[in-house]
Amino acid sequence: MKEEKAGETPQWKNDFPIDKEEATHVSRREFAKFLTLFSGALALGNGAIVLKSIAFPEKELEGQHFICEEGQVPMGEMLQFEIEGDKVIPYILIHLEDGEWRAFEQKCTHLACAVIYRKDLNLIECPCHKGYFDPKTGVVTQGPPPRPLPQLEVVIENGKVFVKAKSHKA
Amino acid sequence: MSNFRYSQKEAHPNKTNTLMTGITLLLILLVSIQIWLLYSALNNALTDNFNIALGTFIGSSVLFIAAAWLLRYLPEPRKPKIKE
Repeated sequence: MKEEKAGETPQWKNDFPIDKEEATHVSRREFAKFLTLFSGALALGNGAIVLKSIAFPEKELEGQHFICEEGQVPMGEMLQFEIEGDKVIPYILIHLEDGEWRAFEQKCTHLACAVIYRKDLNLIECPCHKGYFDPKTGVVTQGPPPRPLPQLEVVIENGKVFVKAKSHKA
Repeated sequence: MSNFRYSQKEAHPNKTNTLMTGITLLLILLVSIQIWLLYSALNNALTDNFNIALGTFIGSSVLFIAAAWLLRYLPEPRKPKIKE
């Protein structure tokens, strides 16, 4: 076996003339190309949102759903219920202190925590990040949620509480 | 005939550096705008606002084309010196 002399380049280095430093170095050209690739990925992601909203449009709730008897929810209280469809969506039914009824989706529009009705504040509260919604309209009154709570229309018939899709968007 | 590429090769390394920095900064700006557009699209898609989703997609695609077009002006890498 041939001995390697100190300071002499070994044969294998001549066969594979790639320096470690060169291989791990990200040049400014490569960085610019990477940024462009990332830009393409963002444009594609935006396209995916468009495709999704064309291919799978949100379905409105169909028909009228029975929830409970009118007497089951005292004034100022709320009832949690679920409606099963393609997916199970949790809702809250609120009997406001002025006697009106409201139904909202229970998922906070910020990070989907479960919201609750606070009788003492007369507000719907998201306990995770202290987001507050108006219990009459569902609009955000305070905190980080970006959109109002999706709302259902409440129908009272013969002492029974039903919900159905809201006829117009709030 | 002299063209952009020819002049760029002949340019002083300082000019090449400035061009490179300019392109990188522009690309970062374009990508930042795209992130903002994507964020708006996501938020609005959740409330069934299709027009915003479509508008941001068109905007984002235009920005991507602009970013790809900017790559034309990247200075060519310096040729490694051939070892004897």
